[in-house]
Amino acid sequence: MTGDLDDLRKRIDLLDEHLVRLLNARAACALEIGRLKRDLGMEIYQPAREVEVLSHVAEVNTGPLDTPALRRLFERIIDEARRLERLADEARTSE
Amino acid sequence: MVVVMQERATDEQIQRVIAKLVEMGFDVHRSTGALRTVLGAVGGTRQFDTALLEVLDGVQEVMRITEPYKLASRTFKQDDTVITVDDVRIGGDEVIVMAGPCSAETEEQVETTTAAVKRAGAKVLRGGAFKPRSSPYSFQGLGEEGLRLLKSAADRHSLKLVSEVMDISQLDLIERYSDILQVGARNMQNFTLLRELGRSRKPILLKRGISATIEEWLLSAEYILAGGNMSVMLCERGIRTFESATRNTLDISAIPVVRKLSHLPILVDPSHGTGRRDKVAPMARAAVAAGADGLLIEVHNDPDHALSDGAQSLFPAQFDRLMAELRIIAPAIGRSICLEPVARRGWGV
Repeated sequence: MTGDLDDLRKRIDLLDEHLVRLLNARAACALEIGRLKRDLGMEIYQPAREVEVLSHVAEVNTGPLDTPALRRLFERIIDEARRLERLADEARTSE
Repeated sequence: MVVVMQERATDEQIQRVIAKLVEMGFDVHRSTGALRTVLGAVGGTRQFDTALLEVLDGVQEVMRITEPYKLASRTFKQDDTVITVDDVRIGGDEVIVMAGPCSAETEEQVETTTAAVKRAGAKVLRGGAFKPRSSPYSFQGLGEEGLRLLKSAADRHSLKLVSEVMDISQLDLIERYSDILQVGARNMQNFTLLRELGRSRKPILLKRGISATIEEWLLSAEYILAGGNMSVMLCERGIRTFESATRNTLDISAIPVVRKLSHLPILVDPSHGTGRRDKVAPMARAAVAAGADGLLIEVHNDPDHALSDGAQSLFPAQFDRLMAELRIIAPAIGRSICLEPVARRGWGV
């Protein structure tokens, strides 16, 4: 029993490592988009695109997380991406 | 800041609020619930009016997390502010008692009362020369002559003087005589006077308005602090409630509330707080036990013949006894009260 628990926890740790890598890869991509938005004179906040992202996530969802749960998680991911874009934007402006 | 959207707010309405918050420099944390969406906004440096958000379509409520006052808040300055008037430190370990007559009436009255409060352990003489009275026909004070009497009595007995400024026109005069300038309850939101006091170099004792919330009171302190005068002490003096057994209801809970929200010293005036002599000592004891940094107490050598506030003035012997009781209470919460040996005559009389 204890052996099973340990195995499962190791699996969680491994999955978290994957998640961290994936989240950072996603953030790097968002930063690149932020740079392009700036060059194109677009606003950081693109509500239409955020809706697209959320519905795409809902489409590919197979559970056991339900769609509202996944939506809340992705809202946080998008919030942080928006913050990252803002910080990068401010850093460029002050240069 | 938290923006709560209405239950039926549309996505477009939510998006407009997010766009507005982003434009104002906030980082927005969106949280979509089963019924309604809540937007958390953090950061943002510009001053703005929450009403700008409240009027947007779909917004139910906007709640500030931070206080509208800055300089007066504990967030701005974590350590307690200690105001020094020569050797008197207000806001330190010692509980400072300011006592004296409601108003200066005669030389003899001022002298006798001053000697009595000094003997009992007061550090500051209180007394008015310009009296804001509810009725225009009541005694209005002696004016400059009153200030002269109070100041010379305070000097003779090595006490500091606190006296009320009612109007900007009296400021120069009162500054010449008084060590601490008092703003009365009725003037707590006299913003032109508060701005002027912000330019003064004398410490200010700001009384709580008769129906002011603690937030409004701290905002009034903010006016003085914003003007550059960082020596502001607050004084709870009772608020108007439906209760008529006492003149006002003394808000003892204001002491721990203010101490948590602000770094400024908090004093209590149990004389105006209750309006009745027999209620002054119990409330003074409660105030010290609750953590007040000082007390403002009316004492008169002959209260029955006082020209103002006689009913709430203590006899000197009652004040003596109260001070003895406070000396037992203060150490229980790690404070002290008038450490110097004082004459013990008169206790319990």
